Amino acid sequence: MEFYPLQQPDEIAEREKEDAMGAYLMMFAAVAIGLPLPVINLIASIIYYFINRKKSRFIHFHCAQALLTQIPTTVINWVAVIWGVTILVSDQYEATDIFWAYVVFAGVCTLLYFIVSIIAAYRARQGKMYYFLVFGPWSYQIAYRVRPTDNVQTSEPMNKPPF
Amino acid sequence: MQSKTLRDILVLLTIGAALFAGGYFLVHEISKSDYDLSYQVSMEQEEELGNLFKDLIWDQYPTIKDNYADSALQQIAKRLVSSIDSTEYRYQFTIIKSKDINAFTIPGGNIYVFSGLLELAETPEEVAAVLAHEIGHAEKRHVVTKLINEMSLSAVIAVLSGGDPNMITQMLQSVISNRFSRENEDEADKFALQLLEDARISPKSMARFFQKMNDKNLDYNEDLEFMMTHPHNNKRIDRARKYKTRNNFSPEPFSIDWEKVQKSLKSE
Repeated sequence: MEFYPLQQPDEIAEREKEDAMGAYLMMFAAVAIGLPLPVINLIASIIYYFINRKKSRFIHFHCAQALLTQIPTTVINWVAVIWGVTILVSDQYEATDIFWAYVVFAGVCTLLYFIVSIIAAYRARQGKMYYFLVFGPWSYQIAYRVRPTDNVQTSEPMNKPPF
Repeated sequence: MQSKTLRDILVLLTIGAALFAGGYFLVHEISKSDYDLSYQVSMEQEEELGNLFKDLIWDQYPTIKDNYADSALQQIAKRLVSSIDSTEYRYQFTIIKSKDINAFTIPGGNIYVFSGLLELAETPEEVAAVLAHEIGHAEKRHVVTKLINEMSLSAVIAVLSGGDPNMITQMLQSVISNRFSRENEDEADKFALQLLEDARISPKSMARFFQKMNDKNLDYNEDLEFMMTHPHNNKRIDRARKYKTRNNFSPEPFSIDWEKVQKSLKSE
């Protein structure tokens, strides 16, 4: 598997660094809006990803990492919300110790996600890579892998010099 | 690279499992700490506190004694108490003459039932369900825990050492208000269902009585005291209805003439 070379911090434009940082920071605003329904932040991450992924590989990597990490966090929080609402509205279910343990688990996961996101945003602003466990290498592959389609060149160049 | 990814996934799953286990431990410890809180007051101190409350109740509320309703209550209570595996309390059951629909437990295993509640009940089994629930509060030491939570441990100790008499009245009001946490109510319910089964009384009687309270709720708002302190009743009714007894369980009816109980209450 081939990969494009990683740019070094001094090779990355300030605007690129800001856009890469934005992938993590934008999520905080989205979380505040969508706290009771933890899906707004996921939608925001998806939109941000598709708008920015083509700008540069560095931005693509950070957007992908922010989005991929967002997915399990959203699923974990959604389970907590659905479980909680079910307990509230249904006579069949009770708030057991297992439920509260899950709420603690979801809370700690979200907190950890916030912490690593802040670190990643800071590193991105400095033009540095920051790899999350599992999602970091995965995002690196998404952004930096050389795809066969990348090398497709027409045998005859379309534009030719005049002489 | 694949083995590294696999290793990373395993690390992530282990962290997740550890977080969940940690969360469970934390929740378990918090619920246990409530129980531990009650043990800061010894059984002797609790009995002493109960005696102070008993004197106040004696002064403030008329009680019904030595009639058919009282002997019926004692008969129901005796069956329940003799079915508890082991207890540190010497239970006492008293009827308070009042139209209110209420029952409450004070420290030291003293349980009071309002005559309004006995009038509402249609069978001795329904009263047994209420008593079993109150015994649950006593056995789980919910009353002492509640007093410590609401008034502080030092206030409880101060009352025991002859402190401010107003404080005792305040504590009694808190006990009579019968407001326990949802967890405490659930715990008392579960205890009661098991106790009813052990005493060969149908646990369904609890569902029937709660249902009656729910129905009453729709018609008479002024008689809501007991209901209001026992929220999420639908869930509780459902749990009592679905409670699975042992295969060989057969209820043993009380030899109590319930009509006579009702009449004796009305004649008081």
